[in-house]
Amino acid sequence: MKKILLEYANIFAYTLTGLLFGLAFFLLFINFYHMQELATVVDVKAYNETNKAEVLNKVGIIKNNINVYDQLSYNGSLNIYGLNTVQLKLQDCIDIIESNDMMKYLDLDEIGIQDSYNFTIDFKNKILNDCLVMQIKSMFNTDTVATLPNFNVIKPYIDLDLDNLIGSTSYVQNNIENSDHYYFSTDTNRTNFFDLVDDSYVDVMNNYQSALDLLVEISNWYRNVVVGG
Amino acid sequence: MKKIFNLLFYGLKFLLLIAAFGLTLFIFIRMNVRLEKSMVSIMPEMIPFVVLLILFIVNMIFRQKGVTDNIFYNLTCCLVLSIIICVALRAMFDTNMVLNGKYGYGVDFNFFDNFVSYIKIMLYGLSIANILFMFREKDKDLVAKSSKRTKKA
Repeated sequence: MKKILLEYANIFAYTLTGLLFGLAFFLLFINFYHMQELATVVDVKAYNETNKAEVLNKVGIIKNNINVYDQLSYNGSLNIYGLNTVQLKLQDCIDIIESNDMMKYLDLDEIGIQDSYNFTIDFKNKILNDCLVMQIKSMFNTDTVATLPNFNVIKPYIDLDLDNLIGSTSYVQNNIENSDHYYFSTDTNRTNFFDLVDDSYVDVMNNYQSALDLLVEISNWYRNVVVGG
Repeated sequence: MKKIFNLLFYGLKFLLLIAAFGLTLFIFIRMNVRLEKSMVSIMPEMIPFVVLLILFIVNMIFRQKGVTDNIFYNLTCCLVLSIIICVALRAMFDTNMVLNGKYGYGVDFNFFDNFVSYIKIMLYGLSIANILFMFREKDKDLVAKSSKRTKKA
């Protein structure tokens, strides 16, 4: 009886060791795959060239639009404090967009996960927070700007667009931060669903272009206000 | 050839256990310093390492061949302990993990934390298997002794 029990114990010990061997190999492979996935480098040279041209084009449009107003030569009937505020706030946004901190991403030829993450954080801090929230959203809450024509038409778009941009960017940021956690991914998943490096970067770049489109719309509104008034 | 490999894995598992223990302890201490928690809370996490070390020493002292000559067990020990070291090193040095450098702690606790349960499962599993292999050896010894007695008789 004792011998049988000891034989069973032996079988159980081998089974347990075998299971641990399998688990250890599983963890080894999954670690290797995770490490490899996080070390992925994506070529974005052509993509960035196109986006840089678009960014510079949009910045040019905004600059042209805000330069139609000159306080010294303005003879219209609109509140000049409101016009000055919009011009200054849009100029601040252009300064942020044209800063090296933002332009450096458009000059990258290859990106890794860190670049995607830094781009997401800088876009969130500088474009969404410093420009759209601190300058544009606050601008639309001032009494002087509220007196300008069609203020009520453009204001809801800013609120809606800003909420969408913040939500989308936060999703990308959380997704990259969660990639540190242990998970299993496959090539099929990466190809068909979400490539952490490439898709995160593209997603934030799309948000960047949307933010610029919003600024172009505001500058168009501003131009119409100045020319019309 | 088998004996040479077994000897290699047998010696290696001691070194790997010490390295895995040291790295895990280092990460736990860093984690507790960051959270300003008492160092006593680290102790339960290190128990499986201590248990396994004690069992290895017992195997060595009493020359329990059921464990020491078991190449599969020694290989599994080396593999498991290598995984722990690999995970600890990745938590400290894999800069592709964005949270590694974000908060300036130098260790990615989020990553390591996911492995703690696996580490415990594997180490306790190795301890249980070790104990069971010890019994097997006793049984073999008894059989050998009884056969010697019958031959003498």
